[in-house]
Amino acid sequence: MRTVFVKPELCIGCRHCEVACAVEHAQSRNLYDAIHEEKVSQPRIHVETRLNYLTFPNRCRHCDPAPCMQVCPTEALYQDTDTDSVVVDYERCIGCAVCAMACPFGIITFQSVHQLSTEREVNAKCDNCIERQQDGKIPACVEACKTGALEFGDANDLVRTSRKDFTLRMLASEGDTEIRTIPRNIRAFRAIMEEIASMS
Amino acid sequence: MYDSQTARKIAEKRALDSTDQEIIVKAIDDGTETVWDRFADQQPQCGFGQLGICCNRCTMGPCRIEPFGKKPTRGVCGATADLIVARNMLDDLSTGAAAHSDHGREVLEVLLDTAEGRSQGYQIQDEEKLLRVASEYGINTDGREKEAIAGDLARAMLEEYGTLKNQIQLVERAPQKTKEAWKKAGIVPRSVDREIVEAMHRVHMGVGADYANILVHAMRTSLSDGWGGSMMATEGSDILFGTPVPCTTLANLGTLSKDKVNVVLHGHNPILSEMIVKAAEDPALVKRAEEKGAKGINLVGMCCTGNELSMRHGIPMAGSLLDQELAIATGAVEVMVIDYQCIFPSITHTASCYHTKVVTTSEKSKVQGALYKEFRPETGLDTAKEIIALAIENFPSRNPDRVRIPATPVRMMAGFSEEAIKTALGGSYKPLINAIVAGEVKGVVGVVGCNNPKVKQDYGHVTLAKELIKRDILVVETGCAAIASGKAGLLVPEAADLAGEGLKAVCKALGIPPALHMGSCVDCSRILVLAAHVADELGVGIGDLPLGGAAPEWYSQKAVSIATYFVASGVYTVLGIPPKIFGSQNVLDLLTTQLKDVVNASFAVEPDPVKAADLLEAEIERKREALGI
Repeated sequence: MRTVFVKPELCIGCRHCEVACAVEHAQSRNLYDAIHEEKVSQPRIHVETRLNYLTFPNRCRHCDPAPCMQVCPTEALYQDTDTDSVVVDYERCIGCAVCAMACPFGIITFQSVHQLSTEREVNAKCDNCIERQQDGKIPACVEACKTGALEFGDANDLVRTSRKDFTLRMLASEGDTEIRTIPRNIRAFRAIMEEIASMS
Repeated sequence: MYDSQTARKIAEKRALDSTDQEIIVKAIDDGTETVWDRFADQQPQCGFGQLGICCNRCTMGPCRIEPFGKKPTRGVCGATADLIVARNMLDDLSTGAAAHSDHGREVLEVLLDTAEGRSQGYQIQDEEKLLRVASEYGINTDGREKEAIAGDLARAMLEEYGTLKNQIQLVERAPQKTKEAWKKAGIVPRSVDREIVEAMHRVHMGVGADYANILVHAMRTSLSDGWGGSMMATEGSDILFGTPVPCTTLANLGTLSKDKVNVVLHGHNPILSEMIVKAAEDPALVKRAEEKGAKGINLVGMCCTGNELSMRHGIPMAGSLLDQELAIATGAVEVMVIDYQCIFPSITHTASCYHTKVVTTSEKSKVQGALYKEFRPETGLDTAKEIIALAIENFPSRNPDRVRIPATPVRMMAGFSEEAIKTALGGSYKPLINAIVAGEVKGVVGVVGCNNPKVKQDYGHVTLAKELIKRDILVVETGCAAIASGKAGLLVPEAADLAGEGLKAVCKALGIPPALHMGSCVDCSRILVLAAHVADELGVGIGDLPLGGAAPEWYSQKAVSIATYFVASGVYTVLGIPPKIFGSQNVLDLLTTQLKDVVNASFAVEPDPVKAADLLEAEIERKREALGI
């Protein structure tokens, strides 16, 4: 099972992923033209913050079974088994938003898409960059992420890395093991921002 | 949009002052967008930018450095995080220094025009100061007309911007030991424009890759502001408009009038506003206002233009940076006159929700949707009258149903120039020094800087000022910080009751508040002069004195320059908002630790005002110990 793994501690809220997503799903697939298209493509990944200025890139998990797919009355949602992706057939989507109600992650948003000739808004959720994947590329959001907050790969492989980090931390008493930690200056910055957040 | 209880809760989160809260609720009810809404819309803000590791200077980029220790560790050109952070800081600082210094240049140009008889409505108000400053410049004053002296002084000061002398004259005001430290570090400012131009050169790709060397120039550039551009702005304004003396006035949005024509004077440079003060007294215009159904003309100040006017004329102070939209949202402002700096670019958008007309006056600072009345020294008074007339004409458009003005303005004292403080002390710094030596006053902290929507408006300023005076530390203030204390009732002699026993006794004996309003942000130069005089009396450097600086709610590049010239002058400075330097541990180490070996002062970052007071107190104790007191 391939997936996009999120490491929120590495997200610094730059929103490169949002821009890359919007460009990837624009008709032109080009930043300079995308912003002038008739139906301006909106990101399908959402970097959001709450009270402490920490950020989280929230993206479709491509569940299986997918609650959105199960509740869709027009069977507009379907599974692409090659890429383990839950995808929307825009023609079939009636914009009833039942999928959005069922989604446990709140990532389904509606917009006009260039694939349709009308203005009607349809479920334009993350399609896991199926076309990129078919060309052997990784999803646009992951490619755009400079900090590794988004990683694409086999779920078990990605989990194994995290598990290894944890194991090393448990056994780090030798003192000579290099474990990736958050640098001192970044921890200092986050502590200050958290303090500012707690003041209001 | 929100029910009244929710709106109230939002307002309490946004601002400390109850009159501000009242108008924030009104703005929410009116559907008027404010800075807090835009701040929320901007979340989350980019971490690369906040950490200072985004470089957008050339077209090989834009580049950013991975902050968690992975690739990319260099921009396309090869710049590291250290270099990118240092260049960005120098860039910000230079913008701030340029803003202060260009403001100073305009004041000096009006001084020159006045000296040569070309300006309208201006005259030299402080001849004593003119002679004093002229003698510093070696200008012959014997038996000469004040205009002739002022002409020579204005020219001499204007030359400082590009002087070939290799040193700005006013730097001589610094104590010997401080100057020696600057010489040793190679940071004596050579001229005002030169340092800024050189800074722009140095941030170009391929001009030096040593972050420390870039930050050394940042210090020199900041000194060209503090002891140059800003100081000349202060001195020029004092000579032209009078050196401030203590006066009592009112503060907060309640200074707007229900039945008079309200004109808000917003920005930083007092040159046109001084004429507006004159124009508002014109009997013909007052009569015209009455014919339009108003009971007179009410001028109120905002931001540093407000500070300049309150300290020289007792013009009431409507508020600070985050009050500019709220003033308009009262529905009672006929005209907001803006010169420049810290004016929200959306101010005309805000005004379009009400009857308020925004008038721009500077060729440098035009805003779409505003009326443009260009200020020129030779027609200054005529322009001022035109603006007042425009406000009067707009008075009948005010919709009383949409007006809400908070009920009770707060009393505040302003006008504590360096000269006025000395006078209040009886003509000498001896009493202050004695009080410091005796420990009645532990030290002095300059609380300065802006507002920032990241902090509840005025919470940082007011909490810190209260905390410091409680610990017998005298507070001197400028800019939005001074306005915050004014609104909070700390700028009156009675506030001494909130001070510790030692400071309280000193304030009561002298009849002064425990927090002194020293003016606008360029008037941070007054704090430098005060520090220099005290250091001279003791025969030490500024870095030896039990002083501190703080900018609890700063936002502006000007504050980067001020904080840096404070530190470079020897004043430990605590910032309440992190500067964009946390992407480089090396830059952090240099600015927060290693600088102590160079100028006996450093930066610190601490948002919590109580903890900031702890840091400042500890630094003051460190310096007291070193002085053996």
